[in-house]
Amino acid sequence: MELTQEYLARLDAVQPKELPGDLDLFDEATATRGIRLNKAAYSLKDEHQRDLFAKDEEAWMAQFGLTDEEQDLVRGRDWIGLWRSGMSIYVMVKLSGVTDTPLPEIGKQMKESGGGANG
Amino acid sequence: MARVVGGIGASHAPSMEHIYDAGEEVRESDEWQPLFGPFKQVADWLEELKPDRLVVVYNDHMDQFFLDAYPTFALGVAETYPVADEGFGARPFPPLPGDAKLGWHIARSLVADEFDITICQDLEVDHGVISPLPMVDFSEGEGGWKIPIVPLAVNVILHPLPSPLRCWKLGRALRRAIYSFEDDLRVVVVGTGGLSHQLTGPRFGQVTPDWDQEFMRLLAEEPESLTRYTYKQLIELGGTESVEVVNWLAMRGALPDDARPLVTAYYAHRIMGYGLQTFEVAA
Ligand SMILES: [Fe+2]
Repeated sequence: MELTQEYLARLDAVQPKELPGDLDLFDEATATRGIRLNKAAYSLKDEHQRDLFAKDEEAWMAQFGLTDEEQDLVRGRDWIGLWRSGMSIYVMVKLSGVTDTPLPEIGKQMKESGGGANG
Repeated sequence: MARVVGGIGASHAPSMEHIYDAGEEVRESDEWQPLFGPFKQVADWLEELKPDRLVVVYNDHMDQFFLDAYPTFALGVAETYPVADEGFGARPFPPLPGDAKLGWHIARSLVADEFDITICQDLEVDHGVISPLPMVDFSEGEGGWKIPIVPLAVNVILHPLPSPLRCWKLGRALRRAIYSFEDDLRVVVVGTGGLSHQLTGPRFGQVTPDWDQEFMRLLAEEPESLTRYTYKQLIELGGTESVEVVNWLAMRGALPDDARPLVTAYYAHRIMGYGLQTFEVAA
């Protein structure tokens, strides 16, 4: 099997690499790391899940097999920790809704975070 | 035969929904007029153009599609598209009217062109569609959507993403799909998203107006040059989430090369570079 230079160049270009440290993206590493947290926060699209979150946050969390560390990040509303643990911003917004956290507050923490969600 | 009679590129953002829903006074305020004024121009233009359908190239934000099975391209073939609940309760709009027959035809044509899309009979549309659409396609007084849509979703959030070149070619294939449809329909193609914005990390809130305006210039004058950008470049120029601009590129690919920009508006405000651009197609 001969792999042409043209093919190898295309394969190389498909995954953005060596981004500056203050930029990140959602890819294999993030999706793998964040698989439980993303499932949990995505569930909040459903108003029954939002009601459960409001009524009994521990029972809500128990549905998703979160690790102890991940549960602490949710309990602590640790947005930077959640981000570094692979939570996508698009489901983080749903978690911000049920915790009454305005996006500018998350933004403020993001700016001060020093990055660190890559790889 | 159906044909493409125009194109629209428009940002999408929850902020646009909040301002729209706050009512006319807020939309016309000094703060928001630079965004909503141009939308009014586009609405007037559409009113005159009277297209029969809108094909909307957009992206979902984990409101319909999730990581359990994330489609690279997904096409609606439904008669109606309900508004998604993004986690705060759905906005009180009636479901958007669709066109299943046109949707299925586009599905067949795209597959014939080797774009093997996910075909969706049930699709809830999120702010990728319904943050810009009410401004141009909704009559408040009569309380209804005016023009049936066919939504076409592109993965711009889970890398690997379809390349800018691939999205351009998707637009070209979409053009063939429209021109091979038997019914005599006038279609406007819409691409939503961008422009520059960054929602994660130390660059949160960064907007890059120079790049945004260069992007719109290139889209008008030499769109194929945009197919040579890598996602790394697009992220560095406009921010992680700004890669949604490939939806605009697909829209532009569905237009003839000599399509001319009509309305071009740009407003960098708070954490968004808001862009709006329409293209006129010679009859
Ligand atoms: Fe978006």
